[in-house]
Amino acid sequence: MSIELASVHPTRLELLRLRRRKSMAEGIVDILKKDLDALTLKLFELVKKIPSLRDKMYKTLREAYDLFIEAEMISGSRKIEGVSLAAQPIDFKISEGKKKGLLGILFPILQLSEGPRVSGPRFNLLDTSANLDKSASKIKSSFYDIVKLAEIEESVRILLEVMAIKKRQMNRIQFKILPQLNAAIRYIELILEETERQDAVRVRVLQRKRKERALKHA
Amino acid sequence: MCAWKYKRIMPKIAVAKLKLMEPKEIIDLAGMSLHHISSILEKTPYKADISEIGTKELSANSLEDALLQNFIKTCEELMQLSPKRIRLFLSTFLMKFEANCVKTILRAKQAELDADEAMKYIMPVGRLDEARCRKTLEISENIADVADSLSDMEYGSVLEKAFAVYEEEKIFYLLEVAIDRHVYSKIWRAIGKLGGLDKKIARTVIGLEIDATNVKTILRCKAMGIREDQISRYLIPVSEVFGEKELEELIREPDIQCFINSLVRLARDAMARDYQYIFAEIQKQNVTSLTTLEKVLDRGLIDTSLRMIKRYTPFFNIGLLLAFLNLKWFEVRNLRAVIRGSEAGIPPDRVKKMLVLPR
Repeated sequence: MSIELASVHPTRLELLRLRRRKSMAEGIVDILKKDLDALTLKLFELVKKIPSLRDKMYKTLREAYDLFIEAEMISGSRKIEGVSLAAQPIDFKISEGKKKGLLGILFPILQLSEGPRVSGPRFNLLDTSANLDKSASKIKSSFYDIVKLAEIEESVRILLEVMAIKKRQMNRIQFKILPQLNAAIRYIELILEETERQDAVRVRVLQRKRKERALKHA
Repeated sequence: MCAWKYKRIMPKIAVAKLKLMEPKEIIDLAGMSLHHISSILEKTPYKADISEIGTKELSANSLEDALLQNFIKTCEELMQLSPKRIRLFLSTFLMKFEANCVKTILRAKQAELDADEAMKYIMPVGRLDEARCRKTLEISENIADVADSLSDMEYGSVLEKAFAVYEEEKIFYLLEVAIDRHVYSKIWRAIGKLGGLDKKIARTVIGLEIDATNVKTILRCKAMGIREDQISRYLIPVSEVFGEKELEELIREPDIQCFINSLVRLARDAMARDYQYIFAEIQKQNVTSLTTLEKVLDRGLIDTSLRMIKRYTPFFNIGLLLAFLNLKWFEVRNLRAVIRGSEAGIPPDRVKKMLVLPR
């Protein structure tokens, strides 16, 4: 909404309208600043969760891999590979949802769910050791952390996008609209002052002429 | 029992037992590179099998295959030298490896692998030599075809019977359990054909092995949350100490502590001295982890085998043969652990903890 000075009507009404627009723009900047502060707080809150969740995920995966290697050491890597060929797979489903959060932003919700449970063991128990069960269960639990981490990282991405938009809006108002409004207001004020000065001169000339006319008649 | 019939096998086993690696030698291998380990193993009875591996092909898998090949060859050599009844027992004992072969063929078919790919996972043994395994893989389209192509062996009929349940429930593991159950039942029947002291010793050692497997299976099934009424389908109830009734009782135990207490009580009731030693140790160590329990049970098997030699005369019975086979098997297993650990860069201290060594 750029303002061309040439198209501005230098009237009091226009001046009042521009001043109203200016105070509204300043109000919007205040609101945007408060929004940005709230978004920043939320961002920090989310970002703080990421390292702990990532550490937990890495820890679980490391433990799972260690247990897997131990299982290979006990039963033999060839045997474990062979057993895995016919292992009953687990169907995981990720349901995606949206949750209205701060400032009405839609944050994603990722829900990991296991498909129907197999009633028996997933692989041969005679040929493998308990470490393989533990490793499989650790890997499974790490999936939940991975999905939670993905949810938070997506929320952070959305939050950063919203913050960038808000920042752009604020900059546009602060550094484009407000200077233009100020310039237009200043322009109208100058014109009106000029008109007032001309009127004052005109009044003084008229008063002088009236006085001269009165003296002539006297 | 006539001692004369052991005249050929006993010296052979005694010499082979002397050639087994010392625990310290195995521990020292931990942390070494694969090349270093293979060069050290070339100075042991594994030499012939390891030297067949090319330098470029040297990996944990190739070394593992060589060790297993050596174990199977040793069993086959001993079988040739054994008296008739022991030979029959050893041939059924080797069926455990044949069963592995069948199970791998089934798994490969389930995963729809082609014959070449599937052969990488198969260790041909006994009647299931490489040509037979390849032929079975090539002519079978699916699991049902595998049962058909093995119909000339007992595995065919076992698979056919188990296939009906598999079709209904779609639990692949049931097929594998059927084969394992058949093989262990057959080994148990072969033990029944042995006489006197041989039968007694074999029943203790092999019975302990089967019972330890059942104990591990029950605990793992419970940890996985499998229903109590389902667990018994995955067990091999052939032993006398832990028969069907005892296993049912163990399945009903709510936690690991009650389970161990029940094991001790049942072993006491059955007057199974060797079981009592192992379970007493489990109780003493206050074992709560399944991994530790597995290790104690495995070590218990070696200790029991060695105890059999001390309790009865070391010669002229099956005790020395079973002790040697168990010691050899755990040597292979320990070497496998060291090799895989070295390949994965596991610290020697942790590898040492994984080894099952006799006391």
